[in-house]
Amino acid sequence: MAEYLDRSSDIGKLVAMPDDDMIICRCEEITKGEIRKAIHDGMWTMTEIKRYTRAGMGLCQGQTCSRIIKGMIAKELGVLPLSIDDNTARVPVRPVEVRVYGKGIN
Amino acid sequence: MIRYDVIVIGAGPAGLSASIEAAEAGMKVAVFDENTRPGGQLFKQIHKFFGAKEHKAKIRGFRIGEELLAEAEKLQVDVHLNAAVIGIHDFNSIAVVENEQVSFYKAGNLIIATGASENMVPFDGWTLPGVIGAGAAQTMMNLHGVLPGKKVLMVGSGNVGLVVGYQLLQAGVEIAAIIDAAPKIGGYGVHASKVARTGVPFLLSHTILKAEGEEFVTGAAVVEVDSKFQPIKGTEKHFDVDTICMAVGLSPMSQLLRIAGCEMKEMGGLVPACNEYGETSISGIFAAGDVAGIEEASSAMVGGRIAGAASALRDGFIMQGDFEEKYKALKESLNQLRQGMFCKENRGKTDMTATEEGIPLSNSLLEKGYLLEKEIIKFPGVKKKAGVHPIIECTQNIPCNPCQTACKFNCISIGENITALPVVIEDSKCTNCGMCVASCSGQAIFLLNEDSEDGFVSITLPYEFLPYPKKGVKGIALDRSGNRVCEAEIIGLRTAEAFDHTALLTMKVPSEFAMSARFFTL
Ligand SMILES: Cc1cc2nc3c(=O)[nH]c(=O)nc-3n(C[C@H](O)[C@H](O)[C@H](O)COP(=O)(O)OP(=O)(O)OC[C@H]3O[C@@H](n4cnc5c(N)ncnc54)[C@H](O)[C@@H]3O)c2cc1C
Ligand code: SF4
Ligand code: SF4
Repeated sequence: MAEYLDRSSDIGKLVAMPDDDMIICRCEEITKGEIRKAIHDGMWTMTEIKRYTRAGMGLCQGQTCSRIIKGMIAKELGVLPLSIDDNTARVPVRPVEVRVYGKGIN
Repeated sequence: MIRYDVIVIGAGPAGLSASIEAAEAGMKVAVFDENTRPGGQLFKQIHKFFGAKEHKAKIRGFRIGEELLAEAEKLQVDVHLNAAVIGIHDFNSIAVVENEQVSFYKAGNLIIATGASENMVPFDGWTLPGVIGAGAAQTMMNLHGVLPGKKVLMVGSGNVGLVVGYQLLQAGVEIAAIIDAAPKIGGYGVHASKVARTGVPFLLSHTILKAEGEEFVTGAAVVEVDSKFQPIKGTEKHFDVDTICMAVGLSPMSQLLRIAGCEMKEMGGLVPACNEYGETSISGIFAAGDVAGIEEASSAMVGGRIAGAASALRDGFIMQGDFEEKYKALKESLNQLRQGMFCKENRGKTDMTATEEGIPLSNSLLEKGYLLEKEIIKFPGVKKKAGVHPIIECTQNIPCNPCQTACKFNCISIGENITALPVVIEDSKCTNCGMCVASCSGQAIFLLNEDSEDGFVSITLPYEFLPYPKKGVKGIALDRSGNRVCEAEIIGLRTAEAFDHTALLTMKVPSEFAMSARFFTL
C-alpha cells in the first residue's frame, strides 16, 4: 500500500496561512491550521492526525474530511496522496446510539 | 442467528441485481439497506437513463429501482430496509441496526454493494448553511419536495452536476452558472446541452473562492485558474446566490470491505482488489457497483449480476458451464459499456480531438455546453430531408442507444457498437411518431419539418418543464446557448404514456432559424 515515509526528511517550517482558521473536520470542528500544525509536529499518517487532533473521529467518522486531510498531509510532505495510508476502518460504520448498541450484546 | 446463502449489503442497482441473480439460482438471499426506499442512488434519479435495453435505458432512475425491487421480491429475496450494516465479524456475519436494536446474520457469501459517498472540497465559508452536496440537493427536491434555494451556483460539470443542475431548473430554481476547475466539461455533452439551451452559462477553468455571508450563504466568489489550477489575480467574479451546490466527485464507501480485511487498492479512493467475478481477496466476499470503482448504474447492474452468479457457482447452485455462458454474455455487455469517450481509460484525457467516426469534436460543446450550427451539420444524425425528419444532436461516443430501439420505422441506427454515433438513415421515412424524441435520454433529438408553408418551419422538441405552454401561445425561441433568437408560436403539444412524462412541444419559427432554434420560453 503506502510507500515507506522517511521520518527523518525535513518538511520545512510551519508557515502560517491566511486560511488556517478554516474548519476541515466539521464534526469535531478542527481547523486547517490545527491539522497543519499536527503534521509539522510529526503526525504523518491519517491515524496519527486522528488521534492527535480528533479530526475524523466525529459523528460521520471521517466520511467528509478524510479525503481532504489526506490531500493536506500529502501537500505538506510533498508526496502524492496515494502514498498516505487511510485510517483504520472500524465498527460501527454508522453512528449508533449506545442505548441501541447495548441491546444487541446479550 | 438467521442464516442465508447470500447476504447483499446495499440495495442499489448493483446489490438488487446481485440478489436477483443469486435468488434465480435458488439461493436464499437477504439484502440490507439503510434507506427507507430501495434503489440506492436510483431512488432520487428522475431522469431517463443511458445504456441499452438490457441496462434498462430510457427508463427513469427511480423506476429502474422499483423494477429491480419487484423482481427481487418476486424471487423471495428478503429485503431489509431501514437496516444499516455497521460491521462484519468472523468473515461471514454482519451486525445490523434495525428496529432500534442490533441483529446478527450469517451467510456463506457476502456481496458488498454499498456504493459511494460525495466528495467535498474546503474553501472559505464552506461550512455556511447553503453550501450543500448535489446529492443532498436531490434528496431535498426529489424526495421531500423542498427547494434547496432560489438561486444556485453549481460547482462541478460532471454528469452529477449537469443532471442535478437540470433537475434544479425543473424545480424552478435559477442557476447562476455551472463552474469547473477543469478546462473542459466533465459530463456528457447531451446533458450539458439541455442545461445550456435554457440559458445557464458554463465557466470552465474556474474555481470557488468563497461562500459569502455571515449566517448563511448570500453570494459566491469564483476565480479563473491557470493550467496548474492556480488562481489568476484580477479574474474574480461574484454571484448573488443563496445556495452553492457541490458536485465534485464520489468516493467508494468501502469501509466494510476494509473491516473484513479484504486487500484494497487505490482507484479514486480505496477499492477492493477483485478478480473478474468481483470476488475479493477473501473467498466468499464479493464487491459490486460503485464500491468496487465508480461507474454507472448500467455497469453496476451487470457487475451485480456477475457477483450474484459467481456466488451461486461457489456454492454449487449453478453448474460451471452455465456460469461460464452467463458470464460471457455479461462480460460482453460490460465491455460495451466500458467503451467510448468517457470510459475509464479516456477519463481526464485532454488530447481527444475527434469521435471514433473521425468527426472533429466540438470545443464549444466541451467549453460552453453547446454545439455551433456549423459543427452540427457534420454529424451523421443530421440530414437534410423532405417532410418531418429527426435531427440528432448527439455528438460524442457514449454508451447509449434508446433512439435506435425507439424508432420502429428504421430511421435511426447506432449499430452493434453501443458507443457509436446515431445515424439518420438516408432513405428512411419518418412518420412523426415522436418516439425517438421522447426516448432520448439526452434530450438531443428534434423533429424538423422544413417544407412548411409561408417561410416558416416547425420544430418539435422534448420538454420537461411544468406547466406546459398551451397550443397557440406565442413566446420566444432560444438557440443552443440560450440566446433569444426569434418569436415562436406553439402549434402542437403531445403527451402520451409511451413518452413517459416527456412532452413534445412543436413550435413554428421563421425558416432561417430552422437549425438554430432549440428551446422555447414565454
Ligand atoms: C445525479 C446522478 C445521476 C446519475 N445518472 C446516471 C445515469 O444517467 N445513468 C447511469 O447509468 N448512472 C447514473 N448515475 C450513477 C449511478 O446512480 C450509480 O453508479 C449507481 O447507483 C451505483 O450503484 P450501486 O448499487 O453501486 O450503489 P448505490 O446506488 O449508491 O447503492 C448503494 C446502497 O447501499 C447503501 N449502503 C451503503 N452502506 C450501507 C451500510 N453500511 N448499511 C446498509 N446500507 C448501506 C446505500 O445507502 C445505498 O442505498 C448517476 C448518479 C448520480 C449521483
Ligand atoms: S419520429 Fe418516429 S418515425 Fe420519426 S425518426 Fe422518430 S421514432 Fe422514427
Ligand atoms: S441520441 Fe440516442 S445515443 Fe444519443 S443520447 Fe439520445 S438516445 Fe442516447
